[in-house]
Amino acid sequence: MQTLPLVSSGVLAWTGSAAPVAFPGQYWNQIFGIWLIVAVVIYLFVALPMVYFLVRYRYQKGINETGAHEEGNTGLEVLWTAIPLIIVIYLATQSFAFYTQQRTPPPDSLPVKVQSMMWAWSFEYPNGKKTTNDLYVPVGKPVELLLSSTDVVHAFHIPEAKTMEDAIPGRVTHMWFQFNKTGEYQAFCREYCGTAHAYMRATIKVVTPEEFEQWLRQPS
Amino acid sequence: MQKAVAVSTPWFRASFREWILTTDHKKIAILYGVTSLVFFAVAGLMGMVLRLELSQPGIQYVSPDLYNYLITGHGAVLLLWWAIAFWAAFSNFLIPLMIGARDVAFPRLNQFSYWFFFAASVLVLITLIPGQQIKMLWTGYPPFSLHDSAGPTALYVLIVILIAGSTLGTGVNFITTVLRMRARGITLGGMNLLVHGLIASIAVQLLGVPAFVGAVTMLFLDKYIGTGFFNPAMGGDPILYQHLFWFYSHPAVYVMILPAFGVFSEVISTMSRKPIFGRKSMVFALWAIAVLGFFVWAHHMFTSGMPDWLRIFMSYTTVLIGVPTGIKIFNWVATLHKGAIRFHSPMLFTLGGIFMFLIGGLTGIPLALPAFNINVHDSQFIVGHFHYVLGMAVTFGAFSGVYFWYPKITGRMYPEGLGKASFWLMLLGSNIFYFTQMMVGIAGMPRRYADYPAIPEWVTLNGIQTVGAFVLAIGILFSFIAWIRGLKGPQAERNPWDSPSLEWQTASPPPPQNFDRFPVEVPAGWSPYKYGPRS
Repeated sequence: MQTLPLVSSGVLAWTGSAAPVAFPGQYWNQIFGIWLIVAVVIYLFVALPMVYFLVRYRYQKGINETGAHEEGNTGLEVLWTAIPLIIVIYLATQSFAFYTQQRTPPPDSLPVKVQSMMWAWSFEYPNGKKTTNDLYVPVGKPVELLLSSTDVVHAFHIPEAKTMEDAIPGRVTHMWFQFNKTGEYQAFCREYCGTAHAYMRATIKVVTPEEFEQWLRQPS
Repeated sequence: MQKAVAVSTPWFRASFREWILTTDHKKIAILYGVTSLVFFAVAGLMGMVLRLELSQPGIQYVSPDLYNYLITGHGAVLLLWWAIAFWAAFSNFLIPLMIGARDVAFPRLNQFSYWFFFAASVLVLITLIPGQQIKMLWTGYPPFSLHDSAGPTALYVLIVILIAGSTLGTGVNFITTVLRMRARGITLGGMNLLVHGLIASIAVQLLGVPAFVGAVTMLFLDKYIGTGFFNPAMGGDPILYQHLFWFYSHPAVYVMILPAFGVFSEVISTMSRKPIFGRKSMVFALWAIAVLGFFVWAHHMFTSGMPDWLRIFMSYTTVLIGVPTGIKIFNWVATLHKGAIRFHSPMLFTLGGIFMFLIGGLTGIPLALPAFNINVHDSQFIVGHFHYVLGMAVTFGAFSGVYFWYPKITGRMYPEGLGKASFWLMLLGSNIFYFTQMMVGIAGMPRRYADYPAIPEWVTLNGIQTVGAFVLAIGILFSFIAWIRGLKGPQAERNPWDSPSLEWQTASPPPPQNFDRFPVEVPAGWSPYKYGPRS
């Protein structure tokens, strides 16, 4: 069983000490790291004064029985409107930059058509070869999935590549990934689709390019 | 001017006939509140079954189909019957009192709203019958919701329409009440922040609910009449439903949280003995959230195959909501500065609610970033996040409100010790529960799974969640006991918190006509937050 990354791996990857098993997972690791730092700083900025005030200004009979008459402070209020505004605009713009990379498949990607149904995945390769629930891909090669569905909405999530997209009847959606290590990985259905939703998984079999070519030539 | 006859028996001693036929806003408030609490308990128990099932991998207690019904029920009931409907109890009881009115503008319409809601409640109970179980989640996405295995679509549609009828009646009624029936001297800007929160929430419902009703009506036509709104084979598009659904159902989260913000403001100011900090910016932020909320819905659809430019657009609009919510949090903290803070139960729940909202807000920001969302969409991370905001911030706000106005509503004082114990258990339990839920989501676990592979990290984190859930449940039980025991508690004063707000200036519980003399007038320079040294 493939062990899924620990919570901290995002930060590790951000500091550069862990290489992603699959692309475009590195972008998610980076945005996760950036957000975590921003969130912790804002958290401390709110929580520390809050705790200090709660202790310092607690009601004490005869000592502190009534509050000061303070109605606001325009300077402070402008400051805590402007700074968060800058922070969120920066985050959205950084996300925009990463997202473009997460969504744009490299030009040499291998296109694979994915058809989803209650409750299985079928894959079709450019030469017409089809498989069910097993997705063979060559290591080190980008793969573009073109997803659709024959019945209800499903979604294909690859934990290592940290990417997903819905599979929708009547539409073709797309996503891409590239595994950098051979092995077997699990992909999960992430859009609720009824009774066996929790069991709607695919196995991604990452093999060497030679093995993949050989496998692709065999009739299915 | 006639002096009112003081009513010494509290409202819950009224006869059965009075309860059924009443148009009194205070009795209707109690009806909403009690109905809502009953459903809160039922949906909470459903949640406990889900939690037990997920404590370990495999299927232990419920079949996947029953599990799917339970997540549908848990979600729909807690959102519609608790996080939205419980605020109807607050609107009903407090808005007329806070603006110095005798009742709402249209008492008969108000009665009608409640009984529509009651009818929907009965229909929800029908779904408990095997064979009538709805398994399409509260979202009801087609094409799955048109599938026979999703349960009776018609029942789902009818429930939504009844709820909508109730909501629209309430919307028209309370907006009219606030615009037309304020006592002389109370300006729109000078109203209590809770009234702003409730009215902003009601205005959002009035504008948004029609989109939701339209969507489910199309669902009904597709299923039973054979139209093809959402059927790609007939030129329809399932994504259309998602747009219509979220156009209301995203703003609906502000319907749930804005009143809680109102409660936080009332309680934090009163208990700190200080005017609310930055009152104008608080009002502005509330309404900014209500308006902005209508421009962000598609962040629920970041992986739904929408055009990428729309995802980016909605990502910018969504992060902007962080600014007014930030303003509110900073202002609450600043209100504590140089206060004289009293830690009664309502204050603890308010502080806890702000804390939960802070974590929920900070974990909400990355969800607005498509680069982050692409890996956690439909994962347990989302579930943990919205249980921080909609689950706990709303519930702490509601509980804080119940404790705060308990003496006004019942004329009795609740047991303080039980209230405090309940708070600490709920704070501890919910943080153990929902923080680990977010962690297991980051570790990749999808949501809406009745079963999951035995990945060691997932198993450990799920086990911890169940422990947290039990602590949380015991905490909630303590509050229920406190409220029941409080009915026999010591007589409460008219104004136990020493607040200048109007509802505290009348008897506890208030007489049928609310105030001793009409028209109610407030002195010049009055403010519901006039605390601190008088100059």
